[in-house]
Amino acid sequence: MESIVVCLQIPRFELTVAAGDRAELLGVPAVLAPEPGASQQVGEVSLAAEAFGIHAGMRLGEALSRCPRLMLVAPDPAGVADRWEGVLVALESIGAAVEAGRPGLACFEGRGLLRMYGGGPSRVLAAARGAVGIPARFGVAPSRFAAVAAASRARVRHPVLVAGGERRVREFLAPLSVSLLRLAAVEELRGLPGSLEQLGLLTLGELAALPIASVADRFGRAGELAHLLASGGDTPLRTRTPVEILREGLDLPEASSGAQLERALALLIDRVLARPERRGRTLRSVVLSALLVERGGTWRERLTFREALGDPVRMRLALTPRLARLPAPAASLRLSVDGFGPAAGEQRGLFDDPASERVARLREAIRQTRAAAGPDAALRILPVDPGSRFPERRAVLTPFEG
Amino acid sequence: MSGPRRLSIPRRVPVTARDEDGQPLSIDGREVDAVRESWLIEDRWWTERPLRRRYWEVVTTCGRNEIVFHDLVSGRWWRQR
Repeated sequence: MESIVVCLQIPRFELTVAAGDRAELLGVPAVLAPEPGASQQVGEVSLAAEAFGIHAGMRLGEALSRCPRLMLVAPDPAGVADRWEGVLVALESIGAAVEAGRPGLACFEGRGLLRMYGGGPSRVLAAARGAVGIPARFGVAPSRFAAVAAASRARVRHPVLVAGGERRVREFLAPLSVSLLRLAAVEELRGLPGSLEQLGLLTLGELAALPIASVADRFGRAGELAHLLASGGDTPLRTRTPVEILREGLDLPEASSGAQLERALALLIDRVLARPERRGRTLRSVVLSALLVERGGTWRERLTFREALGDPVRMRLALTPRLARLPAPAASLRLSVDGFGPAAGEQRGLFDDPASERVARLREAIRQTRAAAGPDAALRILPVDPGSRFPERRAVLTPFEG
Repeated sequence: MSGPRRLSIPRRVPVTARDEDGQPLSIDGREVDAVRESWLIEDRWWTERPLRRRYWEVVTTCGRNEIVFHDLVSGRWWRQR
């Protein structure tokens, strides 16, 4: 039985999230500003900016010269990740196994859902639309790339459905521009449409009509893949395992940087490790994010530890240097667990020394105390900003880790 | 634990103060015997929620050392410890 891939597309997702309550920005020429430290290329662009010929990935200087009154919207990577995670979880809540592309683009296999919801794809789409709650475009086709292409031609209330076998998919894709290959979430295909256009290959049909050996000879692996996509084929979906969200945040009353921020991070690490949902598991990867002062947007960085960790000291050593990359003082800091490792994954020495035995006993005592009296049972005082002129800002109580 | 618990959180306290300079005369019904120190702190004046506090470190007639402050924005009195 042929597969049915459903693609959800939310146009200008990152720009919309970054604009937040300033919805008027979407009606004027506006672009997502480059992230601090990243290459000076603009992100997603508003419709009005597109009218000036500006597109995502254009150099900032060129965009500004095309439209001098262009508004630059500070990027909000943490907000985008949160909202996008919400969309993916909403899709998973209807039973979909989701492959997450870039924020604003997701695909899932719809064949199983058809049985679950009965009727045609319209019921699955209605369920997905209801769960997501954000105006989105939907495309349905037998392959991922065709579904993405269908979604890019759809309207919010009018999904595009491509039914039939590979031949029907080829017919649907044939008149479409090769620039659609950029939407296939494959890094090596990013630059290919430009090269194809220079050679006079403007549509996917023209690309599919070429012998695959010639395309592979000229463009290598990327050409082979592009030919496969243009011919209606695709690789299988790589769906994600639904994730458990575990996060801790801290509002910083004074815009913080330097030592204060390091103490806030130490506090967050202690709090994450003390969460009962962790169930003794180590942490494989975490996401550190911050809300920057003066509407400076957000900052977000993901860190995968060299080995799964459960030790707050080693986590601090790994995470603290990342704080130096913050482009501005932070108004709040947040630490989320991105992936868990095995429970107590750290190897111990062959012979336990008395000190580690004492620590183990202390940990066990704390665990039992918490089990009996709740998470507030064992706390320690952590100096957050010892030099502050306001006494209530100097110290906080944080979970005690033995 | 729902959020980080801060230490030394100010608590509301009834204070009667002298009109001319705002010096506390009694704190929570206890008469002030001596003023040890007084200082002014201003912060976050660049935001919409500025902080302006006049602190008083006093000794009451029962020998208690108190630190109270007058919130110059809201006009309320708070005990710091």
